[in-house]
Amino acid sequence: MAWDMAKSSVNYILDTSALISLESIDILEQVLEIFSITTTNSVIEELEEFAKYDDKYGKIAKDILKQKSKFTIESCKITESINYLELTDNKLYNLSLKKKFPLITDETKFVHHTRHKIEVYFSTVFLVLLTEVGYLTKKEAMDKLEELRDIRNWRNNIIYLITKNQLGQL
Amino acid sequence: METEQFNIRMPKDLVQDLDIISKLLKVNKSEWVKTKLAEEVHEEKNKLLMELSTLYANGMISKEKIEKLVGKEVADEMESIKIIAQKSVKHGLGYGKKLSKLHS
Repeated sequence: MAWDMAKSSVNYILDTSALISLESIDILEQVLEIFSITTTNSVIEELEEFAKYDDKYGKIAKDILKQKSKFTIESCKITESINYLELTDNKLYNLSLKKKFPLITDETKFVHHTRHKIEVYFSTVFLVLLTEVGYLTKKEAMDKLEELRDIRNWRNNIIYLITKNQLGQL
Repeated sequence: METEQFNIRMPKDLVQDLDIISKLLKVNKSEWVKTKLAEEVHEEKNKLLMELSTLYANGMISKEKIEKLVGKEVADEMESIKIIAQKSVKHGLGYGKKLSKLHS
């Protein structure tokens, strides 16, 4: 669908899981056109590691890295650490704290341990956003949610059920 | 890894079958059983938690009930996922509407 909208001033921080989710359902390019996306060096390193393999995630990682020039890539010093999180996630958490940008991730543990401290959303936020601004039809958004569910092996998890229910009401 | 003794009595036939597997695969019988059991437990646990979270997402079971069944940690995490999944939709709707207005 042709869509013309100037880049929004809103900035989001994306982790590896969110980038993979968005690229896997072919909406990362559009998200990068509309929003300012920031990530960390560690995420790029994780994607480069994935890209070494010729499997499904390797291909997705390669496609994400082709669009690397469209991200803002930052390194972030850890000033506040959450024990339950790995180093890469702690860097993203600190970047979100420092910049006050919402963090997008599909890692449920990451969400659980940070939700009281930063603004955090699942990648499904962009399915709803792109539908609301008219880039996706409701049916396209529903189909992409089904695709994401399969790729992520979400089955009937909470993210899938709540997003499906809400998209159905649009 | 911390371990705990767990004794089970098994039918003789099953033990004999395990011996065959062990000899053919040239693996330690106990290690093989432990690996297979771990795979099965992991899968079954995930399946049951998924069913529980489906009930929770659909409002058919309360957080308190989940806490009683599987503990506070799992119940808290399910609550976090539900709240953030709802907030993700709400943010998408709200900000999407704002963007549409700005560009109409």
